[in-house]
Amino acid sequence: MKSAALSIDTLREVIARLPTKHQEDWKYTDLSSIANIGNQWLDRGAEFASGSEIPDAGTQIQQRIDADWLVVVDGVINEQSLAAMNQPGVSATLVNVSNNKLECNTPLDDLNRALLHDGLCVSVSANTETKKPVGILIIDSSDSPAGMSATRVEIDVAAGSRASFIEFHTSSGVADHYANSVVNLKLGDGSHASYVRIQDREQDHNQTGRTAVSLGRDSELNHCAFDFGGKLVRNDLNIDIAHAGAAATFNGLYLAGGQQHIDNHTRADHRVGPAKSHQEYRGILTGNAQCVWNGKAIVHEGADGTDAEQANHNLLLSAKAEIDAKPELEIYADDVKCSHGTTVGQLDETALFYLRTRGLNRHEAKQVLTRAFAQAIVSKSPIDSLHEFLTEKISGRLGSLMQGTDE
Amino acid sequence: MLEINNLNASIGDSHILRGLSLNVSAGEVHAIMGPNGSGKSTLAQVIAGHDDYKVSSGTVNYKGQDLLQLEPEERAREGIFLGFQYPVEIPGVNNAYLLKAAVNAKRKHQGLEEIDAFEFLKLAKEKMAVLDMDPKFLNRGVNEGFSGGEKKRNEILQMAMLEPSLAILDETDSGLDIDALRAVAEGVNALRSPDRAIVLVTHYQRLLDYVEPDFVHVLSDGRIARSGDKSLALQLEEKGYDWVREAVNG
Repeated sequence: MKSAALSIDTLREVIARLPTKHQEDWKYTDLSSIANIGNQWLDRGAEFASGSEIPDAGTQIQQRIDADWLVVVDGVINEQSLAAMNQPGVSATLVNVSNNKLECNTPLDDLNRALLHDGLCVSVSANTETKKPVGILIIDSSDSPAGMSATRVEIDVAAGSRASFIEFHTSSGVADHYANSVVNLKLGDGSHASYVRIQDREQDHNQTGRTAVSLGRDSELNHCAFDFGGKLVRNDLNIDIAHAGAAATFNGLYLAGGQQHIDNHTRADHRVGPAKSHQEYRGILTGNAQCVWNGKAIVHEGADGTDAEQANHNLLLSAKAEIDAKPELEIYADDVKCSHGTTVGQLDETALFYLRTRGLNRHEAKQVLTRAFAQAIVSKSPIDSLHEFLTEKISGRLGSLMQGTDE
Repeated sequence: MLEINNLNASIGDSHILRGLSLNVSAGEVHAIMGPNGSGKSTLAQVIAGHDDYKVSSGTVNYKGQDLLQLEPEERAREGIFLGFQYPVEIPGVNNAYLLKAAVNAKRKHQGLEEIDAFEFLKLAKEKMAVLDMDPKFLNRGVNEGFSGGEKKRNEILQMAMLEPSLAILDETDSGLDIDALRAVAEGVNALRSPDRAIVLVTHYQRLLDYVEPDFVHVLSDGRIARSGDKSLALQLEEKGYDWVREAVNG
């Protein structure tokens, strides 16, 4: 049984500092349930799950999706998976964090640090092309009692390289759980990264994740995020553009039903131009689901030649589902091209009727149109070998979300 | 096959069909003509089962069943096909997928086995050849980015695959250049058969040069003002719709 990297007192202090709904960035997402899980867990002695074996749910993912998988179980890095990494030019190492102190960054980053057992560092050396995606499988096996875990991944893609990554979050077990992840992705000059993040946790598990990307000169990021599971989920994606010629495309899809709460906050800081950041997030909501999309683009002074596009489209399939969508543009430069568009709606009745006149019943027609709405993001996802998995996952998830949505 | 008796229908506050009666038998091709707003498209939508149109009185009998009691998809599976005036673009839904789903929905209803992928593709390519359609249209989104002519050909392709008993083509000729019109007409003629009825809803006589109707009806103010053979269409072309209105009112 491992223990927390920092003292219980430190953990308690960090949990007490978690943001509240009074803060603008957290207006729609209430972390008090996570603080409760944390305090209960601390009261019980803050024991971590063992993290020794890869649960079945994890090995299934490894078998299903072709990638060189690095596995983190209950916050502990599986060393065999590190040793198995044999792609030329790719290294995966464990970073000892036991002597580190809190960085006094955001409270969630501090919580990550306080919970962290060990860190993972992935480097792709210069002018290397990954032969298959580097997978990072983050799995928690919270059977009992409630617990917390953290993962930190530093990824360095050196100049001139082309690399692809899959970050997969999943879990098994029924107890309440909270997972905190921090990913720092650094793209060297002229490098290219394809990155797909998939979150498919159990319905009683919570997650906050923060991904920070810094783009080198003429580098390119193609990021796509899929959220299927979880109870309370908050993703922050921060894109920092400090070098000319950089291009970031980041798209996402969230499917939520029941009492799920999925919050995606993106922020692109354009510090120089020319550079571009384009994003499209789509959501499909049923039941009492509540989702948030907040896309912020800041064009700093002097960042002329910035091209920023934001789009967020939502399909609400129940009267009680709620989406809070907020595009934010802050522009302090003159020569910029910025646009944003947000839509919230139901399925197109004309299209439904058209499909019914071709023999599909109302339920089938709704399924077809909803899948097509989601598929638009799959087709933008940069790793082709994942498309079949994603299509099946979406189809299955929508099948269960849409049960009983026919009026 | 289709017996419409004293049909009254409205959309919102507009009372559009006012006592329309029409009989269509197997093997016949009927043309329904009339000025804008006379109720041509409403008739097509009511037969297909659009929810927005409310039938206040009258009956529609199809193959001995009360058609108005059936859902749109049940009507389709029973062999009714509506070719849309404005075919709907459905991005992300593959054209081949929809064609196959439509064919299988009908086959399932008939107690037949689903069509296999090989057989389906062979059949689709045969039908596309008649319509002078590139097989790559199968892999596009349904009507997504299609030109007006391509959309109409796609409607006829769906009809050809579904082999309906009763096909209603709503302004299928509108917006077509001469090549597309010929291709569409060829597709319609290929489907003429003694056990099938076709109703062409059209504003112009032009299509009827290529698909010769057995009967021509002129709609005015929500009912049939005049019926005749194909010569009626020619008379209309010559004298215009005012002639019918005057004949009715006078």
